[in-house]
Amino acid sequence: MANLEKYDVIIGLEIHVQTNTKSKMFCSCPTGYFQKEPNTHVCPVCLGLPGALPVPNKRAIELCILMGLATNCNIASEIFFDRKHYFYPDLPKGYQISQYKKPICSNGYVEVPSGAEVELERIHQEEDVAKSTHHTEASTGKEYTLVDYNKSSVPLIEIVTKPNITSARDAKDFATKIRQIARYLNISDADMEKGQMRCEPNISIQEKGKWEYKDGKILPIGDYKLNPKTEVKNIGSITAVEKAIEYEVERMIEEIEEGKELKQQTRGWNASRGITEFQRSKETADDYRYMPEPDIPVIDISKEDIERIKKELIELPNEKIKRYVEDWNLSEYAADVISSSKESAEYFEKLQKKLSESMDDKDAATEASNWIMGPLYAIANKQGKDITEIGVNGDDLAQLIIAFKDGIFTKNKAEELLNESVEKDIDISKEIGKLKSAKESVGSLEDIAKQVIDENPQAANDYRGGKEASIGFLVGKVMQLTNGTANPAEAKITLEKELKK
Amino acid sequence: MKIDVKHIAKLSRISLTDEELKKFTPQMETILESVKVLNDIDTTGVEPMKGHIDLKDLREDIPGDCLAQEEVLKNAKYKEGGCVKVYGKIFGEQES
Repeated sequence: MANLEKYDVIIGLEIHVQTNTKSKMFCSCPTGYFQKEPNTHVCPVCLGLPGALPVPNKRAIELCILMGLATNCNIASEIFFDRKHYFYPDLPKGYQISQYKKPICSNGYVEVPSGAEVELERIHQEEDVAKSTHHTEASTGKEYTLVDYNKSSVPLIEIVTKPNITSARDAKDFATKIRQIARYLNISDADMEKGQMRCEPNISIQEKGKWEYKDGKILPIGDYKLNPKTEVKNIGSITAVEKAIEYEVERMIEEIEEGKELKQQTRGWNASRGITEFQRSKETADDYRYMPEPDIPVIDISKEDIERIKKELIELPNEKIKRYVEDWNLSEYAADVISSSKESAEYFEKLQKKLSESMDDKDAATEASNWIMGPLYAIANKQGKDITEIGVNGDDLAQLIIAFKDGIFTKNKAEELLNESVEKDIDISKEIGKLKSAKESVGSLEDIAKQVIDENPQAANDYRGGKEASIGFLVGKVMQLTNGTANPAEAKITLEKELKK
Repeated sequence: MKIDVKHIAKLSRISLTDEELKKFTPQMETILESVKVLNDIDTTGVEPMKGHIDLKDLREDIPGDCLAQEEVLKNAKYKEGGCVKVYGKIFGEQES
């Protein structure tokens, strides 16, 4: 394990998110390019043909502003676009329309579960590039690239944090929060496997006490020389964000401890080997030759625009967590898990509301949370689905919980019923009704215990003769007679009482 | 006014011979010299002249028509599987 007592870990994240618009950023081509025939969602604008002019998409800019509002950013009153030049086949114009000095959103923050506040430097609007795949020609051995421009100019926002993330865990949690916010607000599906969300961490390690964080920058103290940072690309999942950073931190500490000099570089995450691999060194700064985009006017954003976009803000995960913990005494952990998706939070809140008709608010929340975190997640995990997709109706589950709380049957029986309802598609409320009337018709536990003792004299005598294990057999009989509705512990106590008479 | 034509060429993935560099460098420097005149004008207090548009007046997010694939690939020298085909491991290496 790397020596973390000597070094601090400093991380900044760049997260690209494709936003959910129907048409592209600067033209009317449809955005849904996934698994579509190559080069069928393109026009002169997104192909970068000479003379074609960009026409900005209103919705895309609204979604960028929405993301900024959700992450406590300042929103600019004027939007400027700039050209970022580099020469690559996936960028047909020879430049990407992006934003340089004046992003739409700036200076935000997002709290992560550790309690740390990740500071946002900016969120700016840009356009995606085309999709390229690399091949080798069998006949000639020549390397070549195939380019599909369907993805070219799909709206993309770039979220840049300040370098104030101090652990791989916080980086992962921040990426998770961004994904949650994007999904809660329908800004993006933010599926990393589909490339709708991409995370690129910048990582450096610095000796403790030799640096300070000031105005969003890492500065050396005294004559300390800052270690260079590594940028990691090719991260395909949220968990890989954490793993890649952990690997990189360990690698850098080892190199330093071995007396090697670190170099600023870009590395790629290799998920199957669980390592980062050298891609290129960054000895010279990138030369993008930014210039103002002359083809797009300045876009004015009024207070009314902001107010209108604000109406799309709904209660976000962090606000839900706060409310669940403060109002209902849920644990931070449970609140975090339940609010991880809008659907799951809605399910929980509906269940809590239904239960609160039969118990007080906090108990209703506790029961709802326990049942979701326990049996429901168990079933969902087994099926590889979300809890809202396994077909358990919230009202049914509420009935089941209330029946169990009323002592109609045990918790085990309730869970058994829940599992059966999922596997065999039985009607929970009917089953509860049956068990209720069965329970009423079989009479009290004392009567049943007596009946069992009368019908099983051998076992009863064995118990009285000192063979205590035979009580288990009798409890089993009670359970049978009650269709499993009796509480086995209670049944045992009642039987023991009756047997000693 | 000096210009590093070699660097600019590299950024544009264009390879120039030493002779070409010798030929183009003074030409481009002359262009820069002519444009430099603009730098001599005092623009203090002058707002950049740029058109403005209100957010609400931007294009609505409605998908429209695209080009047909054959049309798109017409300009491509090489193509494969509906894609534009580009030779070279590192982009910009001259195709052979």
